[in-house]
Amino acid sequence: MTTDKNRCVVTGLGMISAIGNNVSECWKNAVNGVSGIKKAEAVDTTDCYANLAAEVCDDALDNIAGADELNRVSKLCLKATGEAMRDAGIDGFDYSPKAAVIMGSCVGGVSNAEEYYKNGKSAEYVREIPISPIASHIAAAYRAGGVVTNIANACAAGTISIAYACDLIRSGKADVVIAGGADAFASVPFAGFLSLHALDSDACSPFNRCGGITLGEGAGALIIESYEHASKRNAHIYCDILGAGVSGDAYHITAPRPDGKGQICAIRRAIKSSGVKLSEIGYINAHGTGTAKNDEAEFLSLHTIFDEKNSDLSVSSTKAMTGHCLGAAGAIEAVFAVKALTEGVIPPTIGYSKEDMPRLEERAGKIDFCPNKARKKRLSTVMSNSFAFGGNNASVVFSKNAGNVKPLSKRERVFITGIGIVSPIGNGVDNYIEKIKSKIASENASAESVVERADFDACGLTNAFCRKLDKFSRLQAVSGMAALSDAGLSVTEDNAEEIGIVVGTADGPLSTICDYQRDLLKKGNAAGSAFKFPNTVYNAAGGYLSICSGIRGYNVTLTSGAQSGLESIAYAVNVLHSGDEKAVLATGTDENSETVTELYDKMGYFAEEGFRLSDGSATLVLESWSGMRERGAKPYAEILGCGTASCSAQSGSEDALERAALLALDDAGITAGDINGIVGFANGLSEVDRIETEFISNVFGERAGAIPVFNIRSVTGEGRAATAALSAAHAALIFTGKLGKIVESENLGMVAASALKNILVISYSDGGTYTAVIITR
Amino acid sequence: MICDRLGVDPNELTDEVPLFNDGIELDSIDSLEIIAAIDEEFGVDMTGIGKEPFYNVNSLAAYVKKELACRE
Repeated sequence: MTTDKNRCVVTGLGMISAIGNNVSECWKNAVNGVSGIKKAEAVDTTDCYANLAAEVCDDALDNIAGADELNRVSKLCLKATGEAMRDAGIDGFDYSPKAAVIMGSCVGGVSNAEEYYKNGKSAEYVREIPISPIASHIAAAYRAGGVVTNIANACAAGTISIAYACDLIRSGKADVVIAGGADAFASVPFAGFLSLHALDSDACSPFNRCGGITLGEGAGALIIESYEHASKRNAHIYCDILGAGVSGDAYHITAPRPDGKGQICAIRRAIKSSGVKLSEIGYINAHGTGTAKNDEAEFLSLHTIFDEKNSDLSVSSTKAMTGHCLGAAGAIEAVFAVKALTEGVIPPTIGYSKEDMPRLEERAGKIDFCPNKARKKRLSTVMSNSFAFGGNNASVVFSKNAGNVKPLSKRERVFITGIGIVSPIGNGVDNYIEKIKSKIASENASAESVVERADFDACGLTNAFCRKLDKFSRLQAVSGMAALSDAGLSVTEDNAEEIGIVVGTADGPLSTICDYQRDLLKKGNAAGSAFKFPNTVYNAAGGYLSICSGIRGYNVTLTSGAQSGLESIAYAVNVLHSGDEKAVLATGTDENSETVTELYDKMGYFAEEGFRLSDGSATLVLESWSGMRERGAKPYAEILGCGTASCSAQSGSEDALERAALLALDDAGITAGDINGIVGFANGLSEVDRIETEFISNVFGERAGAIPVFNIRSVTGEGRAATAALSAAHAALIFTGKLGKIVESENLGMVAASALKNILVISYSDGGTYTAVIITR
Repeated sequence: MICDRLGVDPNELTDEVPLFNDGIELDSIDSLEIIAAIDEEFGVDMTGIGKEPFYNVNSLAAYVKKELACRE
């Protein structure tokens, strides 16, 4: 039986989709088999072989207070989270550092890129193009002060956000989380899926005709609380969330593994971590997209796992009614799964004719796919599955019972055992050390990293592989492979599922997205490139890294401004503590280009002379103590503690940074007095620099002037997530003595490396979220 | 066209080298891009035809030539 301390419960639900503007409308229509699929309106479908979509009809969307300038995706998200918060009976969180927001999205505000180019490159559209702002807007609306981030794993994003919410609660880093996902229908995904011939010309028909997907849009939100938090305020509890499983295919950037191995791994992990029997699962809300490849793989994985073990399993795909809502899908389907569980009704998979039935019977075997009509069923435990581009798989279990979720095994120590660096001052650890020592900086206002044939050869990456990758993915592939090699960690069939990847990025593949959008405006939505489309998805880089390395464990891409590169370390530590993985690659990656520089210029970043935009990728191999010892690896340093806090203000605040640092100190079990070095984030923007200075003075008081502050941005420029992750690597390198027996600080000149024991690494983001990580010798 | 749109190294691409499998190692997404490119450049639709014309650059060129010749 799960201990109360370890229970995560759902206390609020919210949803908006093509079949309703709230949970009760959506649920009623889902049960009645009402489809929301119609001729697409928001996207030009001229000359396109498919022209259907499941779009939200809600005139009130534009009336949401304070949402005038937000992209539609944030409006959808605000609408669903508003309903969930009211349902849970919570007004706000007063910036509690234990209130978190985890939102999933695939394309974010990409329609703002279309508006940007259509309206003479007007600056007003720029800030909302990336995924990053979505969670910040939700946090601002409800004054959440803890972890505020977005999961950018395409179609599995909504499910992974729920899995991460539970991890945060079980590790004591959050009491309450707004978790979910949102995506708005837009030209880039429509034209992209069209170019892949992945859209059905009719309404999608999952587990039946399998002619392709129909895109939808919407948002789903769940209020997830620790049982103790919920019972203390007498909240109505819908159900428990038991375990979850996340995995990577390491197979293909768009197609699932035909052998279903990755899906099977995620589902088995969810079952195992829930501590339930296979026979207890009464219903699965399947991924069920309606493409031949997905549905075949899913039939196979469900039969492989459940046949002979469960004679009363029902499965349905609600995408037949809501369309495929991409990053919102997992969240919307989680809400449907919870409703099915609590109402005792299974929503149908619609679209079967009488003639289709014999074929369904043949493919379904003993599993009930609930064709066309809902049915009543007493349920105790249900599952929701999502499988995404990039080969990401996620599965989560909801139950009326508390299950047998095992507590986090003893909190294992986590070490940095490998480093991979791609930066504007060159690539590789040795090169970095040399450049830092000789203070060779990139001087231009806008600098770019370069990865070329020699870098690919050094990592064993072939032409046939690299030609498919855009710059963003190439930066990540090279730094990731270099880190594995630096750690001496070989990926084998035996350990592939025990290694994970956590990619952090501020802006994702922004150039590729904007280029794609520009091409569509030039040539029309019927002429999207099938070759380029997969690279427009944020998690492509993490997907390609899993493919070239063979890593098949946890795979997530998170995006919440520049601090994402340090937050990835905090996330990875959580993944290691949850026990499925022995090693996790934590990365920070961002790209610069003419397009990215133009967009940052529009936002006014270059108004201050000291600011230099750059890019790169840094990957840290993190290993648990037992994993590291098992293979006799030698660590650079230890991760002692992590903390993330948010103030929900665009301009940020030293108070939120202070909260993040105090959380990290608390996590590490030390005090501010034990810190004897800081790697900061000052980047030449006066407000950002001021926050760092104020923070140091507030936290360290009289000692403030005596603590050496290191800053690598004076050498590398502001590479956003890449520089945040590199700052952590820099701290680790100081400890090894490789940067010299004496190292240069910003404020105190040369200091002895041996005098430094605990270094505090801090990072900031535009949305007002800060992550602090303490690294020790 | 194949080099431009599919990022293939011009030094590797000859008229004879197989485009898929052991040759240049193109995959199903690349074949969609080739179909779109040939339609755009030559107005020849290769959707749903067999695999043979996609064997190498020579076979692609032969298919396009034949289709264009049929129209004259």
